Amino acid sequence: MIQQDIPITNRLGIHARPAAMIAQTAAGFACDIQLTKDDVTVNAKSIMGVMMLAAEFGSHIRLTTNGSDEKEAFAAIKKLFEEKFNEEF
Amino acid sequence: MLVLKGVPASPGVAIGPAVLLPGESFAVTRQYIEPAEVKAELQKIRSAMQKTLSELDACEQKVLSTLGPEYANLMSTHKLILQDPSLKESVSKKIRSEHLSAQAAIFVTLQELAASFDKIEDPFFKERRNDIFDVGKRLVNNLEGDKKEFLASITKPSLLVAHNLYPSDTINLQENQVIGFCTDVGGKTSHTALLAQSLNIPAVVGLGTASKDVHSGDTLIIDGENGLLVINPDKYTLANYRKIQREIKKTEALLKTINHLPVITADGHAVKLFVNYDPRTDTKENKRLITDGLGLLRTEFLFMNTPHPPTEDEQYQVYLSVAKRFDMRPVTIRLADLGADKLPDFPLDEFDQDENPFMGCRGIRLFLKNPELMHTQLRALIRMSCEVPAQVKIMIPMVSSVEEVRHVRAAFDAVLKEFEAEGKKPVNRVALGAMIEVPAAAIALDGMIHLLDFISIGTNDLIQYLIAVDRVNQEVAHMYDPCHPAVGRTINQIIQTAHKRGKKVSICGEIASDAKLLPLLLGLDIDALSVTPRMFLRVKNNIRNLNFENCSDLAQAALLMGSSEEIRNLIEQNDKNEDS
Repeated sequence: MIQQDIPITNRLGIHARPAAMIAQTAAGFACDIQLTKDDVTVNAKSIMGVMMLAAEFGSHIRLTTNGSDEKEAFAAIKKLFEEKFNEEF
Repeated sequence: MLVLKGVPASPGVAIGPAVLLPGESFAVTRQYIEPAEVKAELQKIRSAMQKTLSELDACEQKVLSTLGPEYANLMSTHKLILQDPSLKESVSKKIRSEHLSAQAAIFVTLQELAASFDKIEDPFFKERRNDIFDVGKRLVNNLEGDKKEFLASITKPSLLVAHNLYPSDTINLQENQVIGFCTDVGGKTSHTALLAQSLNIPAVVGLGTASKDVHSGDTLIIDGENGLLVINPDKYTLANYRKIQREIKKTEALLKTINHLPVITADGHAVKLFVNYDPRTDTKENKRLITDGLGLLRTEFLFMNTPHPPTEDEQYQVYLSVAKRFDMRPVTIRLADLGADKLPDFPLDEFDQDENPFMGCRGIRLFLKNPELMHTQLRALIRMSCEVPAQVKIMIPMVSSVEEVRHVRAAFDAVLKEFEAEGKKPVNRVALGAMIEVPAAAIALDGMIHLLDFISIGTNDLIQYLIAVDRVNQEVAHMYDPCHPAVGRTINQIIQTAHKRGKKVSICGEIASDAKLLPLLLGLDIDALSVTPRMFLRVKNNIRNLNFENCSDLAQAALLMGSSEEIRNLIEQNDKNEDS
C-alpha cells in the first residue's frame, strides 16, 4: 500500500474536469485507489466521488493505492496533481 | 407587471412569450417490482445506459464541431458520470435487495447524490450536482422509451423559464426556437451560464421564484445586461425595452462597419485606441479588431499557480507570441503587479501578508525587494524586443516616488548593457513608462517625468486611493466615484505635467470605456485609451460621434466645479445634448 498527502495547487480546485481526469486515469488500473479529504474517503475511479470531495485550492488530499499495480497507479495520479491538470500556463 | 432580480449570465435583451419547462421531478410511475422481475429490470438499466452513452457520444461530436473542445469536455464528463462505478453499484443494489423499479432506483440514487452535493458550501462545487441530474434525466428518459424532447416541441420564438436548466438542454437550444432563458437557480460559474454566453442568447439565472411566478404564455423581458426578468411588462416598459433592443441591434451592425475607420472625433481630433489583452482568452473575433496596439498586458498570470517563478525562457516565449500577434504595433507590457490580492505560490523575500495589502508591499515595491524577479522579467522583455520589430513599452506598476523609477531605470539600462555585451540590440528603442495610480506620484510627477518615456493612468486604483475607498467594502463602495472633482483634477494635472515634457498619456481603467465620462477624458486632452476587446468598437464609435471642441469646453467647466453632483449634472446634460 502507498499513501501520501498531496496539495491542491491548481486555482480552481478539483472541479468537473480534473475529477474526470482522475477518474479516467484511475479506471486504467486494477488496484484500489482512494482519495481522502478531512474524514471523507472516496473511490478515485468514481467521478462523482471525486467531485464530492470539493477539494479547493490550497487544501490537501491523501492518495492511497493498494494492489498489484499500486506503484504505477500512484505515480500516474500524483502526476495529474503536479501538472495542475493542464489547466494553467 | 412584476420584476425579478437575478444574476446576469449572458448579455442582451430578449422579449417574447414564456414557455415553462416541466420541473425536474422524475415521474416515477412504478415504485416496486416483484422479485422475479429483478433480472429484467437490471437488463432495462443496462440498455438505457448503453443508449444514453451513444446519445452522449453523438452530443459530444455535435458540441465539438459547434462549440469547440472546451465544451466537448463537459460531455465527456457526463459520460464518466454515466459510467461511474458508484452509480451502477447503487442502482443495481437498490433493484436487487430493495426491489425498487429501475426508475425508482435511479431516482433515489440521484436524490442521495444530490443531498451529498448540497452539503458542499462552495457554490462552484455545488453547481456540479446539475451535471449529475442531467445524466440521470437522460437515463430515465431512455428507460421510458423515446420520450419526445420537450425543447423540440417549441415551434415559435419563445423565452424558456425553468427551475433549472441542464447543460444538455442548453445545447439543444441553438436549433430550437428559444431566444433567451432564465432559471430560478444557478450562478455565474455554472456550466449553463457559460454555454449560454457562447450561444449568444440573453440569459438570467438565480432568479429564485421565476418558475413559480411565470405562467406559460406570459409576455417576458429577459434583460441579460442588468440581470432582470420582467413578467407581463406594462406598455411603457415594453416600449422602452423594444427601443433598447433596437439600439443594441443597430449598434452591433453599425459597429462592424467602423472597424477599419480611424479613431478621430467628428471634428478631426485623433486619439489612439488600444486593447487590454489577455492571451488566455483571445478569440477569432478579437483578432479581427483593427487596433492601434496592445495598451495593457497584465503579466501576473505568469507568476500565479506555479511553484517557482517563471524562467526567462518561459516568459520570453509568451512575450514573443504576444508581440507577433500585434505585428509592428506598440505592445505595452506591465511588470508583474504582484502582492495585495495577487500573491504567487512561491516564497518571496521579506514578505509577510500585511493587514492592509493594497497599501502594502505590491507592484514595484515588491519587485525592488526581489530584484532577481524584476531582472528576469526585464531580460525576457528586452530579449523579445531584440527579435521583433514591435514597439515594446514596459510599464512600472504602483510607482510612488522618483527613487523607485530611478532604481528601475538603472536595472533596465543594466539589462540593455548585458545584451549589448552579447552583441544584441532591440530592433526598436524600448520605452519605459509608469502606471500612475498612487496620488503621490500624480502630484509629484514633475520630479520623475524626465526619467519616463510615457505615462499610463490606472484609474481603478487611482480613484480608490484618491478617495480612500475600498471598492469591495460594502459600507463604503458607493463612495467610489469617478465624478469626484479630485479625479478630474488629478487626471488633468498628470496630463498637463506629461505634455509639458512632450510625453504621451493613456488611460487603462474601467472609466476609459464609460460612455458618459468619455467626453471629459477627451476634453482633458488624453492621448490614448486602452479598453477590453468587447468594448473596443463601442468606444471607437463613441469617440467618432464626439466633438473635441465641445469636450474641451466641458472639461474646463468640470475642472472648476467643486462637487460630484455638479459634475454629474454637467455630464448628463451634455449626454442629452449629444443625443438630440
